[in-house]
Amino acid sequence: MKGGLRALGIAAVVLVCSAHIGSPDSWYEGSAGPYHVVVNVQMPSVIPGIATIYTRVVGDTVHQVTSMINVYDASAGTPPPDVGAPVPGAPGQYQTRLWIMAPGSNSVTVRVRGARGEGSVIVPVTAVANSRLPMQKPLGILLAVLGLFLFVGIVSIAGAAVREGVLPPGAAPDGRRVWRARATMLASLVFFTLVVGGGKIWWDGVDRDFRTSLYRPFAIALSEENEGGPPRIRLRIVDSAWTMRHDSAWLGRAHIAAWSPLITDHGRMMHLFLVKMPGMAAFAHVHPATKDTVDFMATLPPLPAGHYRVFGDIVHESGFAKTLVGGIDLPAITTRAAAQDSDDASFAGPAADASSMSARLDDGSTMTWQRDATPIVAAMPASLHFVIRDAQGAPATLEPYLGMAAHAVVMRDDGTVFIHLHPSGTASLGAQQAFAFRQRGDTNAVSIGKSVAREDSAMARMPAASIPGDVSFPYAFPRAGNYRVWVQVKRGGAVRTAAFDAVVQPMAASAR
Amino acid sequence: MASIATPVRAVSTIGDAAQRTSTRMWPLYAVLCSSTCIVVGLLWDISWHETVGRDTFWTLPHLLEQFGAVLAGVSCGWLVLQTTFRGTAESRAESVRFWGFLGPLGAWVTIWGTFVMITSAPFDNWWHNAYGLDVQIVSPPHMVLALGMVAIQIGALLFALGGQNRATDAHEMRRLGWAYTAAAGVLITMIATLISEYASRANEMHSALFYQVAGGALTLFVVAVSRAGRLRFSATGAAAVYMGIMLLMMWTLQLFPAVPKLAPIYREITHMVPPSFPLLLVFPALAVDLLVRWNAGRHDWLMSVALGVAFVLVLVACQWYFADFLLSPGARNYVFAGDQWAYMVRPGPFQHRFWNLARDATGHPSFPLFLRGLGIAVMIGAASARVGLWVGNGMSRVMR
Repeated sequence: MKGGLRALGIAAVVLVCSAHIGSPDSWYEGSAGPYHVVVNVQMPSVIPGIATIYTRVVGDTVHQVTSMINVYDASAGTPPPDVGAPVPGAPGQYQTRLWIMAPGSNSVTVRVRGARGEGSVIVPVTAVANSRLPMQKPLGILLAVLGLFLFVGIVSIAGAAVREGVLPPGAAPDGRRVWRARATMLASLVFFTLVVGGGKIWWDGVDRDFRTSLYRPFAIALSEENEGGPPRIRLRIVDSAWTMRHDSAWLGRAHIAAWSPLITDHGRMMHLFLVKMPGMAAFAHVHPATKDTVDFMATLPPLPAGHYRVFGDIVHESGFAKTLVGGIDLPAITTRAAAQDSDDASFAGPAADASSMSARLDDGSTMTWQRDATPIVAAMPASLHFVIRDAQGAPATLEPYLGMAAHAVVMRDDGTVFIHLHPSGTASLGAQQAFAFRQRGDTNAVSIGKSVAREDSAMARMPAASIPGDVSFPYAFPRAGNYRVWVQVKRGGAVRTAAFDAVVQPMAASAR
Repeated sequence: MASIATPVRAVSTIGDAAQRTSTRMWPLYAVLCSSTCIVVGLLWDISWHETVGRDTFWTLPHLLEQFGAVLAGVSCGWLVLQTTFRGTAESRAESVRFWGFLGPLGAWVTIWGTFVMITSAPFDNWWHNAYGLDVQIVSPPHMVLALGMVAIQIGALLFALGGQNRATDAHEMRRLGWAYTAAAGVLITMIATLISEYASRANEMHSALFYQVAGGALTLFVVAVSRAGRLRFSATGAAAVYMGIMLLMMWTLQLFPAVPKLAPIYREITHMVPPSFPLLLVFPALAVDLLVRWNAGRHDWLMSVALGVAFVLVLVACQWYFADFLLSPGARNYVFAGDQWAYMVRPGPFQHRFWNLARDATGHPSFPLFLRGLGIAVMIGAASARVGLWVGNGMSRVMR
């Protein structure tokens, strides 16, 4: 796989991007020049906010690891990179904390210096506000107590000022002055109540505006169509921020920044995933076609009837990758249409046996999740390592599937976590290519979409390489819960899918 | 209502005036020092955000602000404990009682301000985590912090006021009058900084909004300071202190090399970005002082109209043409620090234009519409002056 990427000429800047559901962190595993690194960018939930970058250098002792952040198009200057601090107890791992100031598509550049020279990797990250931190109860109680103390204090001070503050030293207040002080306290009580109330209205307004501005993927409409042909799924982006994207006057009036065009990702404009809910008993990965990047249509592969959660991965030219989300009820689809994209695939059935963690693929080969009995813990690197053997038990070889050795999809059973993984991490190849073209600094930068499409076509024409059937995905499950992992590889010209279940334990408070 | 309180002779328990003054000066100096540290720290902090960007609890400007708050709280807390448990008859006689403790009014306001600043810290930290780092001055947690800062500065003012209003000796009155003027100048610097998002840049000085904001916020304090001051030109002196602090900060900060530490960076910055050239506040303050002295016996309602008109119109007369100069190439130097912008501001022609101009239906600048906005500024200034007179009358009666 890495060889394939080098052949495409984008290994000089290896890139990773993510914008998935409930799993905002970015992962990259691969080369940074002569070094093999694993980079984990833990994104803040608000922007501006602080991202934590963990870089692990595998197999080398290096002198220094630095990191820096810039906006996606590098149109601005950057400060000197920050030197990573070694993580205690984790040899070869370095940590950096960097502010991300600009919302949208950004890049993290990790540079490694060691005995074998210098190498770097650019990790695209999508910076969006995706949640509002609730106020912890102890902090709320502390602030309430302090606020009450200050409120009573200022009212008392106002009373003391009128009662004694204007009297000559030593003079005692008479009854009239005492009453004036009480009236002043009452007036200040009303005044400061209004001040606090006004502050609350202001705060509520800020909070309302913030919640309104939280990142949400484009609104979509889903429908099933089967008139005069095989059943198809239609996804239409109905969000006015996208449908009105060519009307700059409308965007200006609505205070909406224009989105950059969509580009292909692994040669497809959209990767559409369907998961049967509840139970996650069926899964499909298809690639809709589009003429206007608003209306997307895909032939449905064989699937059982039921309700499906739908996720559509798209990538903007800026490198901003997003997942569109919807739901649809489908009838049973029993046959594979002749017009089906050869890279479309579906899977229905139970997950691999929990004791052996081994699944039989439909060509007789097996896929085994190589893991020990160590529990999987949320927010800690998980060992997503899979070995594929042929029907005779010998190590199998794989064919590139959409330019990758394998694809994995991870989903929590309630649908609140969904992510599409590759062996190089949480990558969108389209974002990788877009950043690579910008890095070249040539005139391609003004037509990145076309350049990416050209590169995708070149990749499709390449002879299929033989890839060892041993794949792993760098990732950490974001939260505790029950997950299903679908792993897809290509053998014998067809996509083979296996499903695995994972129970993720909560992270101990002291574990990180 | 309009009369200025005359100095009241202390009761018979008061002994030697010089002795009494010497025992009272240290807390005044301590609070004045903390008040100055806070406003200098605030200006430095704003410059830090515009230059370096990267922010922690432990940056030097933050440490200076925290030192100011701690110094204010500790010195006033010590004064209260000393007065309550080991105070002399004189010091107890010059105190007000608060929840069983004794201390000067200024000490209580200062302590309250310190607690407000302490409260703002966890609130601000949570705010940054919940909504992202807020780079604007005017936000709820920043306003809580500012309330604490202003309270400490008002505490310093009350400290000086109590001494000034009790003083019978001319030398003592002059000394305390200057302390009062200095405290008032620091307070005005704080207020001018809080409104600086709307009323500090030369680009804003041909907009009615500039005069409405400045007229509303500054007239109150300038008038109150003038009314309660015992020196002949208290407001002018306080305005001079404001201009002095701003000029010193402006001329000092830009001497220090510094570079941005956050991306995206849109301009090449090699030294600390200074604050804008201060408002020419001494001129409207002088007009206020003259009117307050001349009209000392007149009705405050009429007086407030005259003060509002005078403050706003003199400010317009001073700033209108000065703004033309500040936007010109002639001001782009060390002395006037024109055309200085934060690292995150994209360069553009807006830098050298006036903003928020009143425009007619065709989109052209309209002087009649500006005059209408200016009329509103005058009305706001008059209302602010009326509150200022009321506050100033109260301040002139403070004795403890």
